[in-house]
Amino acid sequence: MNPKEYRYTQEHEWVCPESGKVGITDYAQSQLGDVVFLDLPAPSTQVEQFKKMGEIESVKAVSDLFAPVSGEVLEINQIAIDEPGLVNQNPCGDGWLARLKLSKISELDALMDSDKYDEFIARSGEEDSE
Amino acid sequence: MKPLKKTPFNKVHHGLKARMMDFGGWDLPVWYTSILEEHKAVRSRAGMFDVSHMGRVWVTGKDAGAFLDRMLTKSVQRLEIGSGQLCLLCLENGGILDDLYVYHLGIEQYLVIWNASNIEQKLEWLFRWLDPDADITIKDNSSNTVMLAVQGPAVCRLKNLEGLSYLPRFSITQTKVGDLSALAARTGYTGEDGFEIITDAANALPLWESFIEQDVKPCGLGARDSLRLEAGMMLCGHDMDTYSNPFEVGLGWLVDLEKGDFIGENALLEIKRQGVSRKLIGFQMNGREIARSGYKIFKSGQEVGQVSSGGYAPSLGIGIGLGYVPIEMATVGTGIEIMIRNKLTPARIANRRFYKRGESSESQGI
Repeated sequence: MNPKEYRYTQEHEWVCPESGKVGITDYAQSQLGDVVFLDLPAPSTQVEQFKKMGEIESVKAVSDLFAPVSGEVLEINQIAIDEPGLVNQNPCGDGWLARLKLSKISELDALMDSDKYDEFIARSGEEDSE
Repeated sequence: MKPLKKTPFNKVHHGLKARMMDFGGWDLPVWYTSILEEHKAVRSRAGMFDVSHMGRVWVTGKDAGAFLDRMLTKSVQRLEIGSGQLCLLCLENGGILDDLYVYHLGIEQYLVIWNASNIEQKLEWLFRWLDPDADITIKDNSSNTVMLAVQGPAVCRLKNLEGLSYLPRFSITQTKVGDLSALAARTGYTGEDGFEIITDAANALPLWESFIEQDVKPCGLGARDSLRLEAGMMLCGHDMDTYSNPFEVGLGWLVDLEKGDFIGENALLEIKRQGVSRKLIGFQMNGREIARSGYKIFKSGQEVGQVSSGGYAPSLGIGIGLGYVPIEMATVGTGIEIMIRNKLTPARIANRRFYKRGESSESQGI
């Protein structure tokens, strides 16, 4: 369910290297619960890898959104802003958050591929249940 | 860290893979499937909440009524048997220790239902004022009973509750729910019709199952909070506490200054005479932002108060909240700003009853 071509952060964001789209993973949305508000950076904002680029609010809480890579914000997903439930329904597809122009391709090396990310969430799941 | 306390429904919550949280030392569900789904189930049909963490204390004996009347801001001796009412437990300075329900169960028998927080402190407070020679027994039966709140417009159509549809609001009766002996009170914390059912801990699972069989949706603390906030109901410890008094939170109607001597009476008389300087108001956001508890309230750029409860209102699709502002600006319609992520975000003071029963979603048959 985590697309093979994406790269993933330990904070449960994804980036699609080809399109530059970023979003949160299915695991992240399941932890947040119903998303009701997105605070995303305006187009042309520069974001920096692993630095805060916005906030996601669920009914219960506010969470920071960290940029998986550095770059310029080209576009934000207005459909998801208007209907934040999309982030729960399809976090890796229609529920994408922003599209970036990647400024350092080499930053992708610091991210996990889908296999490593699956292992990573399996481990955090074990810690949760302790 | 102390291990979390568990209600007799705990295994059921875990079995349903609920998202659990430490709620004041209790291991309780925040949601089972989704706060929004659970919220909507209660607004449109029926949901149930494990509220066994709340305190259930029986106060009995010849002097029980007089003692409670001395401790509380309203007279419970005047209640007819089978009736209940919301009361406040105040300190000598008028500060609010808790809001609680007292039911007059029978001759010289009262049931107090209070919040889960500070139970030891509250019991200690009661015992401190108790005359050792008085004919009173105070017994906390919280751990050998359970309490399940079944809430929603369809509750009286559930087959094991339909026989209780005669019960007036805030009344209680010893009854059968299905074949289980229970106390049922017509009350709740959601703004919908509903019952709170108290029964022996041994009946927990059959009680739960009897509602599951009728498609009553299990609901967690997340929906409990969003439902009560929409209905403008306060949460003790957030919206009011020992530093606030009944008049500024809009509960002056629960203070009966004519009923005779009670703890806090002198202070409350004085507060009423002087008038309050701040007021707990409801507000709604103008835009889509969400204000949360602890955020600062501004008026024309000046900090004037603080949000005590805030969140998303699923029935309204906007952010709402409760908060304190100076009395002179506490008028419905007044524009205010909430500091959200270093941005002054426009909101306006609104009627605290954001949601009124029967105005939103249509009730569905069962």
